[in-house]
Amino acid sequence: MAKSSSIGTEMAIQDFGTMMDRKRAGAMNGDRAGRAAREAIYVACAVAVIAAFAFAFTDPFVVTLAGYTCAFALFALSINIILGGVGEVPLGQCLFFGVGAYGAAIGMGKLGLPFEVAVLIALMLSVVLAAIIGVITLRLTGAYFSIVSWGLTGVAMVAATNLEEITGGPLGLFGFPPIEIGSLELSDPQTYFAVTATILLLAIVFLVALRRSPFGAAMDSVRQNPHLARSVGVDVARVRLKAFMLSAPFAALAGALAVPYTQIVTPEVFSVANTVDGLLMVLLGGAQLVVGPVIGAAMFTLIPQAMNLDPNVRILVFSSIIILIMMFAPGGLHQLGVALRDRLGRRTDDDRSR
Amino acid sequence: MLGAGYAVIAVGLTLIFGIVGIANFAHGAFFAMGGYACYLLTSRGVNYFIAVPLSVLIVVAIGAVTEWVVIRRSLYGDSHHGSLIVTFALGQAAVAGLILIFGPDPLPVTSPLGQSTMRFLGIFVTSQRAFIFVCSVLVLGALGLWLRLSIKGQQVVAVAQNARGALYSGIDVPWIRALAFVLGVAAAGLAGALLAPISTIYPTMGYSALIVGFTVVILGGMGSIPGAMLGALLIGVANALFETYVSVSWTPALGWGLVIATLLFRPQGLLGQVQQHRH
Repeated sequence: MAKSSSIGTEMAIQDFGTMMDRKRAGAMNGDRAGRAAREAIYVACAVAVIAAFAFAFTDPFVVTLAGYTCAFALFALSINIILGGVGEVPLGQCLFFGVGAYGAAIGMGKLGLPFEVAVLIALMLSVVLAAIIGVITLRLTGAYFSIVSWGLTGVAMVAATNLEEITGGPLGLFGFPPIEIGSLELSDPQTYFAVTATILLLAIVFLVALRRSPFGAAMDSVRQNPHLARSVGVDVARVRLKAFMLSAPFAALAGALAVPYTQIVTPEVFSVANTVDGLLMVLLGGAQLVVGPVIGAAMFTLIPQAMNLDPNVRILVFSSIIILIMMFAPGGLHQLGVALRDRLGRRTDDDRSR
Repeated sequence: MLGAGYAVIAVGLTLIFGIVGIANFAHGAFFAMGGYACYLLTSRGVNYFIAVPLSVLIVVAIGAVTEWVVIRRSLYGDSHHGSLIVTFALGQAAVAGLILIFGPDPLPVTSPLGQSTMRFLGIFVTSQRAFIFVCSVLVLGALGLWLRLSIKGQQVVAVAQNARGALYSGIDVPWIRALAFVLGVAAAGLAGALLAPISTIYPTMGYSALIVGFTVVILGGMGSIPGAMLGALLIGVANALFETYVSVSWTPALGWGLVIATLLFRPQGLLGQVQQHRH
């Protein structure tokens, strides 16, 4: 009985939003100051965890891998701006990842620029590229958008293979000068981890703020029902383009930050496998949650390492997991947790009413 | 000539998109399975001409199981969002599976038509390519006639045009969708078996086929079978000209260049219909 009445009262909200959105609406009504304090505590905890990890683990392999995971989580966040934000599947997001990686590599290796300058240029380039690509491809939706964005990475891969003077051709670029940001030496595993983790944390804080902003609400409305959004005055095309342009520098930054780990940039960065990995992280963690992709990234990197899986077994296992998730828990594993909690919560409510 | 092979892949994709309503990213994997099934049979001494239909049957069986286990439960009536990811994952899993079973290295498939060439209107063509062309034209023609003349075919067309209306008039829509999916997959398997002797087979061969298939389908207009054939012809000719007169290494990018150029002016593709209620 309790079940049906709760559905009745919340029917209108549920009609327009997902379970997660409903929860967020509840949080918004809550005490503002209390929320700010709670978030400050979250951030402090995250900083503490980062610091503790950087000091506690000294095995260079583990720490470097953790740094790379942070960089890749950033890429997953970029995918989630599109997937969780405006509800398209961006199969071409590794284009920007590649722009970041090649930008850093070409800037340092060929032009002799410092790492941070090269990265900044790459970021700006990625935004410009996103604007151009967005204007062309965002007129398409659903499968069309995904296919064409995927195709563009194919073009990028062909270009990177053929423009040998700039990109080093199929062999790629390698042998970089020491990668450093100011006085921070990124070839040192612990510094690398600290830097990527800090950037990841900043990105998360920024994205949380973005979700709460009017623009975040506009993205939500575009994802849930573009026609309704348009009817209440949201410029759907503009919101989609802005979201796309916003996601590009995140992916590019992730690509640039992956360079100290990989030490080589080949046309393979444009491979769709990269995007799939990112997509998987998003789906594992849950698309509607800002930290979902980060949780996904951690699981995605740690589980195969711990179990020492062959790459192909890994793909087989994780692809099967994606299928199962999409069949039974489209909101990510996070959704299962919420559903479980709701069920337990409801049971206790029932007990009380009895 | 290869354009005909592309057409078979693309028609399969179009069939699935038009009737089942999903963009089948696993299509390339079924293409590769067709090639591998053909390899398995021919390397056991089965005649190539018998191996081709048999491999189609194998792919049909796999496709039917996939439809029943995964596609049916997770996708029908759902948004494109979910189906994209599921079929994509399906393709990835299948390719990984092929690598685990057969290894990553290319394997040869021998055809009795292997090295011989024939003269056709003054042009020399290898017999295998002529065989692909003839088979493709026959299969596409048979499919077109079947859709137009048979009752089942008309039901398929009806579901493509208006699934709900078809349901109201008593057509078993889930069954027709399953049929369309399996037919589309069968086309992929056939293309795989036909093209296998030209290029060696390798687990990721499906990707390039899938990309070509999608360029063809988008160029022609998704869901339009004549569009898919036109698109295949255009891409085939454009690729051949580009390879001859401009550059071989840039050819893979050409298809997408054409697609983007087309979409700039006709977002629905050359012969596609404007999709309403989708901005």
